[in-house]
Amino acid sequence: MKVVAWHRSGRVRLPRGEGPWAWLAAGSVSLSLLLLALLLMLLATRGLGHFWPSDVDQVTLADGRVLAGRAVKEAPLPDDQGMERLYRTDNRDLDGDIWEWVPVPDIETLSQPRDLVVLERRRWGAFIGRLVAWLPAQGERREGAAAWDALQARLAALDRQRDAIARLREESLLPLARRLEAEGEHPRTVRALTEVQARIRALHEAMAGDVLILESVDGRRLRQPVEEVLGAMRPNAMGPGAKLVAWGDGVWRFLSEGPRAANAEGGVWPAIFGTILLVMLMSLVVTPFGVLAAVYLNEVAHQGRLTRLVRIGVRNLAGVPSIVYGVFGLGVFVYGLGGRLDQWFFEDSLPSPTFGTGGLLWASLTLALLTLPVVIVATEEGLARIPDRQREGALALGATRLEMLSRVVLPMATPAMLTGMILAVARAAGEVAPLMLVGVAKLAPQVPVDGDFPFLHLERKFMHLGYHIFDAAFHGNDVQAAMPLVYATALLLVLVILVLNLTAIFLRHHLRSRHGSLSRY
Amino acid sequence: MPVKQDTAPRRGAFVDFTPETSCLEISGLDLRYGDKPALRDLTLRVPRHRVTAFIGPSGCGKSTLLRALNRLHDLNEDVQMEGEIRLEGQDIHAPEVAVAELRRRVGMVFQAPNPFPMSIYDNVAFGLRLQGGLRKRRIDDIVEWALRSAALWEEVEDRLQASAWSLSGGQQQRLVIARTLAVGPEVLLLDEPASALDPISTLKVEELIRNLKSSLTLVLVTHNMQQAARVSDYTAFLQDGELVEYAPTDTLFTNPRLARTENYITGRMA
Amino acid sequence: MPKSSSSPLLRRRLRQGRDRLATALITAGGIGVIAAVMAIGVFLVVEVLPLFWSGSPEAPQVDLDALWQPQTYPGLEAPVHRWQPALPDSDPGPRFGMAPLAWGTLEAAAWSLVIAVPLALGAAAHSALFMSRRLRAHLKPTLELMEALPGVVIGFLAGLVLAPWLERHLGLGLTLLLLLPPGLVVGGALWSRLPARIRRWLPLGWSALWLVPWLLLLWALARWLAPGVEGWWFGGDLRGWLAATLGLDYTNRNAIIVGMAMGFAVMPSIYALAEDALSGVPSSLSEGAQALGATRWQTLWRVVLPAAGPGVFSAVMIGAGRAVGETMIVLMASGNTALMTASPFDGLRSMAASIAIELPEAAPGGTHYRLLLLAALLLFIFTFLVNTLAEVVRTRLRRRYRRLGVSS
Repeated sequence: MKVVAWHRSGRVRLPRGEGPWAWLAAGSVSLSLLLLALLLMLLATRGLGHFWPSDVDQVTLADGRVLAGRAVKEAPLPDDQGMERLYRTDNRDLDGDIWEWVPVPDIETLSQPRDLVVLERRRWGAFIGRLVAWLPAQGERREGAAAWDALQARLAALDRQRDAIARLREESLLPLARRLEAEGEHPRTVRALTEVQARIRALHEAMAGDVLILESVDGRRLRQPVEEVLGAMRPNAMGPGAKLVAWGDGVWRFLSEGPRAANAEGGVWPAIFGTILLVMLMSLVVTPFGVLAAVYLNEVAHQGRLTRLVRIGVRNLAGVPSIVYGVFGLGVFVYGLGGRLDQWFFEDSLPSPTFGTGGLLWASLTLALLTLPVVIVATEEGLARIPDRQREGALALGATRLEMLSRVVLPMATPAMLTGMILAVARAAGEVAPLMLVGVAKLAPQVPVDGDFPFLHLERKFMHLGYHIFDAAFHGNDVQAAMPLVYATALLLVLVILVLNLTAIFLRHHLRSRHGSLSRY
Repeated sequence: MPVKQDTAPRRGAFVDFTPETSCLEISGLDLRYGDKPALRDLTLRVPRHRVTAFIGPSGCGKSTLLRALNRLHDLNEDVQMEGEIRLEGQDIHAPEVAVAELRRRVGMVFQAPNPFPMSIYDNVAFGLRLQGGLRKRRIDDIVEWALRSAALWEEVEDRLQASAWSLSGGQQQRLVIARTLAVGPEVLLLDEPASALDPISTLKVEELIRNLKSSLTLVLVTHNMQQAARVSDYTAFLQDGELVEYAPTDTLFTNPRLARTENYITGRMA
Repeated sequence: MPKSSSSPLLRRRLRQGRDRLATALITAGGIGVIAAVMAIGVFLVVEVLPLFWSGSPEAPQVDLDALWQPQTYPGLEAPVHRWQPALPDSDPGPRFGMAPLAWGTLEAAAWSLVIAVPLALGAAAHSALFMSRRLRAHLKPTLELMEALPGVVIGFLAGLVLAPWLERHLGLGLTLLLLLPPGLVVGGALWSRLPARIRRWLPLGWSALWLVPWLLLLWALARWLAPGVEGWWFGGDLRGWLAATLGLDYTNRNAIIVGMAMGFAVMPSIYALAEDALSGVPSSLSEGAQALGATRWQTLWRVVLPAAGPGVFSAVMIGAGRAVGETMIVLMASGNTALMTASPFDGLRSMAASIAIELPEAAPGGTHYRLLLLAALLLFIFTFLVNTLAEVVRTRLRRRYRRLGVSS
């Protein structure tokens, strides 16, 4: 045996040596911890760093070319010719591409001019370059610093106008359109609709007209309509404080806005909303049913061989792959139940399916089924931990079984149920595979909750953080460009799940210590 | 001291009570866990307003008997029972008897104190609220009365809303007794009520038992023979699921009829 | 004596009735819920059966052998395994060979176990035997959190970060693999030669923590050595060497990447169960061995492991069950090419990933649909059996420990 050999052959006399295997075992713990830490740090730095307005380099190459951009990474050139550096130069409308590989030895000068602006635009992505002039629809042309000030003021106004339009659309236009659809062409409705449309048009007109003259660092000029600009900054001129504010603003917009550019840009608010709604619906279903099944198994059923088998079966279902649940959801809920419902209640809209396709309801039911074993097992553990003498104490006072359960046993098992529910939520929040079968969408035009009766639209498709990661990372046109956003989304998802799990761990610990104090006697 | 030969009739001395003076009548009780017999052909009467103690070695069936008296075995489907138990002349297994009501009339206190995880007040009021139909004022009165009867009132009167789990073991056991008294039982079954307690708490509980017999019929299971001798009026000795001897406590402890009994009470059991 | 008031009889009846009703409802509900969960297996069987039973026009009967044997297809010369359910219209028709999918599934699971099992068992042994109690109390929840990391995040990192990195740093990867184990052993040897005063600051029970900087040091060393290793043995280009000497093409997303990612995902669950088994061994046993002068590692190997063997085995089984069914990691890190090669540098396509990609597009009731359901059924049966086996083994083991605990 190796261990022995180590000792005998050892000129090195080990005081209490444990041999090489012990160190390998210790190393595997360290390695796992290191990997976990690396993973979390990678997510955190990349995910949060994306929003930091880092400096923009202006690079002059040996051949006289000039470019501006942010350095992303470096890679060695073949045959040891040094490194080459990847710049994100944006300006897709000028260059047709947003990336530029630059061999480091070719770089002649590198500077960070304070007047470089970065514009975030609705189309063509960001622009990096200089602001030459500001041409308002009315009024005089401004240049230089005055143009920058004018642009700032105009952008703030534009933000307000966009909000106004969004509000009009949400609160007036959509309800009117729906009423039109439901009640037919009522003249009053039509008039109101025309009026709202006119107001929106007027706002749009008020936004349009202003133009910026931009110039890339290599001197190409560009006319940019201001209404397409979402934000502007001069990162090289910003101090750390201003950058921090811009960073916070970026994080907030990531959390609160919808995606743009085929999920490669913009925020994830609809995905957050969809995930939360899905998980809430799921826990509404899974908690009562899971607790019911656990109470049946632990308190009512005859504790014989059959119950033991059922218990093992339920436990093992927790190990069945989630995709199998997805298949079940698709076959039974979507095609089976959904198809039936469509035939009965939504016949007029066939053949386009209402419930006969994936949607929020079926997704949450599938996840509920998937997490049912988790809740059952956790609740059963909680119930089993309650000493029998508590039950007997209640019975001996003349309580019926229902009274014993509802007044003594279930209150004592509440933390366990809560733990089960949180674990279920944590598991469900990270599941993506079954959702791909039962209703997640790459881009859902309508959030499943709105002002339209019945307010919660269970048949609609929804967006999901996990699927958003998968989609943006694998189905985008430019994966490299989407990466920062994917990192940020992944970080968000991991944070949500970590918090949920930590809560469950804390609850379980709390539960154990409380029951510990009881079992003293 | 000469050991008596076990030549006397297999069954020892029996006290018997007329149906009028007895509260519980057990006749021909057979009880099995699965196929393991726990009680065999047990017949005895428990006198009203007296303390009756069941003693015997562990596993002799004394706790099983106690649990049979308020039908706690109903929960366990492995238990099969034959024979009859009458409470004040009525068969407790008769279909018209509601088991919850039976358990209210026949209260039980367990070996380890089992207060519910709620306040002291709520523990005592628990059974009352189940019965329903009582005003708050009335519940207050009964809670105070029950706590006084269990000699706990002075110790908890200013912290009725504190958690019952904050009490000491002896206080918890008296709280459980108070809780049981509050629903107004006729019989109180005590399953080794002092075995988890320290000596001082034990003394308090024993004193309480002696005081309660003026209004209640008490049945006490204990493996502590001094305790049985101290508090009970009558003692039944059980062994291997059979009733061996049943006599007034003084008689049983000073002059047992059978060698088996004497061996046990003098600590010479094999 | 207080008496209960007004109409006790009526109230008693009411309570009794409510109790009966509630019991009936709980029974019905409980059985219903359990039946609903169990219905998954039934549903899959019912949907898959027509495949072998009757040939309806849209779902012709499928020959069992044809699914698993190489087939001759028009346009291809030798019989081959192919899974090509959706070929362009010009082609003669879909090709359904399940073998590549089954192969991919097992290959992915096998590689992930190769990564996860040594790590998990090593970690379990260390934390059951050597680790300080306080550190252990923190380690377990930490690894639980690791288990909860969503597959889609791990898959993303594996497919888009690890895969390109490893492609560029193949030499460094190999150097690390070669350097880490001896490096750790050397670290241990160095530790035991430290003066006792310093060693007290670095106790063995906390080695899992203070070895982390040592690992980083080894990493730096590997970075420094890697070009040398690659240049010396492989002519400066490991990838080219692989292709030229072994005939292995290195694909960007391959079985090794899947194995690493899924190994990372599966490791915590194996660890948790194995650690439970190891630390559950009654301490009387291991103390007895140590009293006879055995080192702790000898004790583990000769006493604890034989006693806990079944538990460790069941931990590995559960890990295998998870690895077989994990979808997102394979989907994102494997390249999803339905190949049947033994090369760890080729891509693969697992059953779970196939289901996720293809099922939404497959026509309900058609052959393709039912075949995917067959794949789901196979996954279900496999994981269910594996988990049941593990559960039975664990129950037995627990009973044995209890006996040992009592007899000692």
